[in-house]
Order: sequence, then structure tokens, then C-alpha cells
Amino acid sequence: MTLNNIKPGCECLIKEVNLTGSTGQRLMDMGFMPGTKVKVVRNAPLVDPIDLLLRGFHVSIRHHEAEGMEVEEL
Amino acid sequence: MNEITVAVAGQPNSGKSTIFNMLTGSRQHVANYPGVTVEKKTGRYRYQGNTVTLVDLPGTYSLTSYSKEERIARDYLLHEKPTVVLDIVDAANLERNLYLTFQLEEMGIPLVIALNMMDVAKDRGFAIDAHKLSELLGAAVIPTVGKKHKGGNEIKEAILRACQNAHSQTPYGETREAGSVSPGISRKKDSFRIDYGAELESVLMPLEERLLNDPKFSFRYPARWLAVKLMENDNEARRLVKEIEENYHGDGYSNPR
Repeated sequence: MTLNNIKPGCECLIKEVNLTGSTGQRLMDMGFMPGTKVKVVRNAPLVDPIDLLLRGFHVSIRHHEAEGMEVEEL
Repeated sequence: MNEITVAVAGQPNSGKSTIFNMLTGSRQHVANYPGVTVEKKTGRYRYQGNTVTLVDLPGTYSLTSYSKEERIARDYLLHEKPTVVLDIVDAANLERNLYLTFQLEEMGIPLVIALNMMDVAKDRGFAIDAHKLSELLGAAVIPTVGKKHKGGNEIKEAILRACQNAHSQTPYGETREAGSVSPGISRKKDSFRIDYGAELESVLMPLEERLLNDPKFSFRYPARWLAVKLMENDNEARRLVKEIEENYHGDGYSNPR
């Protein structure tokens, strides 16, 4: 399952980050790493973005970026 | 000691500019980093007979070479040789902010850490042990609330002390090649080191050793930092190494292999 499929209000654990280049680097710099717990706060279903909470801060990312993160629902 | 240059680093929205303004008053001015449209803000203050120049670096989450801001911040630290780096850390986002701190530590430049927005952190229920953090990081950690002008004098004092420590610990002494050595680099040899685990260290340590034993590199860049970047396959780091290899015409140096 990828992060974009997680429903708002639900939490998941990142298993794998399949993003490369500057986007992957930036997200990893911000703490998107395997083992990190992420809560989906809000999700604009047809358009971007997805609002996430991880490590105590909010960040919004695009659906296609969320799609690059393999997660396990908690 | 009279002239001190301090680079102000930190992640976006950690309060760099607030702290910068708190320290310098209204005496800062804005310029551009050469070749790019990122503003370079410098300012000065005097403290106990020293003139301290602050250079506000672009806010970055890390020091890779993917974005222009990151390259500017990193090149400044590598080539312009600030005496001290003042790292502004958002206390309410400590975990994320420490990632940049670790990268700064790895570059081996004397560090002073401002633990900013302590009021916000407290409101969120965080209790942060600044002393313990300072011990673990091997750098002064000063709790601040930039918005309320709290912690300014403590930062100034810590910067001065970091300079004095740096000067007394410079290992190069008379033997260093004039003009080719970054005075800020390789000073803090054993004060801070991230252990990346057996698997990575088996690659990292031999690489670091090679860089340390090669005067082309050891006099220019912190070996540990360069080894980590090369392991990451960082483009800029690879370019630096290539450039040095191609341009080096040292006398008396020969490769043993």
C-alpha cells in the first residue's frame, strides 16, 4: 500500500521511500524515512495536496509523491 | 582576536532572521550571493572589543547539492571559512532540525546552537535538556526566544568562547601551507562523530582514511564529511574531488601505489 491510499485520520509506518532525485532527497531530509510514523490529516481527493503529520510537524505533499512511499497501515 | 565571521545556518522557519536581527540590531544589509538571486544578508555587532560579522545563509533542510540554496550554504561553509557557525534550531521541531545540525557538525566547523522558539516548545509540552544536548553534540546550546529578544547576550558570549576554543585547538600550527588551509576545518577531530553502523562504516572508514592521508584533500576539506558525501554519490563532492585530482601539481608528493 502507498501513502496516498491512507484515509484521513489514519496512521501508517513508512516501509520504503521509492523516490529519487531532489524530491526524494528533500523528503528524506525532512524525515520521511523507513520506520517513520505518519498521520494523514487531510486529503484533497482529486487534487493535491495531502496534509501529513510526522515527527511533530505538518507537511503537505503531492499525491504522486505520496504514491512513491510504501507504507503499512497502523 | 578582533574580526570574527559567523555564518548563521538553520532550516527554513527556524527563526534565523529573527535571531540575526536580534543580534545585529538594524545594522544589517542585503546583497546577493554571486550568480544567483538568493539574498545574502550580512550584519555586524561589537562584543567585548571584537567585531563580529554575521552572514545569514539560506534556510535549508540539509546540505546536499540538490537545490541552489543548499549549494550556496554549503559552498559558503566550505570555501569562505567562517570562524563559527551559529545553527538556529527550532526547539518545537527538534528532531527534524537536528538533521541539519548533524551535517554541520560533520563539516567540522565550530558550532554554537541556538535552541530557538523555546516558548513554543514549552507550550507543546516539550522539556528539552539543553545541557545534555550540549554534551551530546559537543557544542554550546543556548535556549532562545528570538521574538522576545531572549538569549542574545548568551549567544554572543558562546560565539566568543567557541572562537577562543577553536584558536587554542588549531592542530596545524606553523606547519600548515599558507593560504591553502581552512582554519575552520578538521579542528574538532573527536568531539562529535556519527556512527553509521558496521555496514556503512566498512566503506566509510577506509575512504576517510585515504582522504586524511592524502594532502591534496586533508588540507582542504574535512575528511569525514567528504567521505560521507562521496558515499552518497553527491555530484558536487565528486566534482570537487575530480577538480582537485586534475589540478594538483604538488611537489614532493607521490602516490605510493
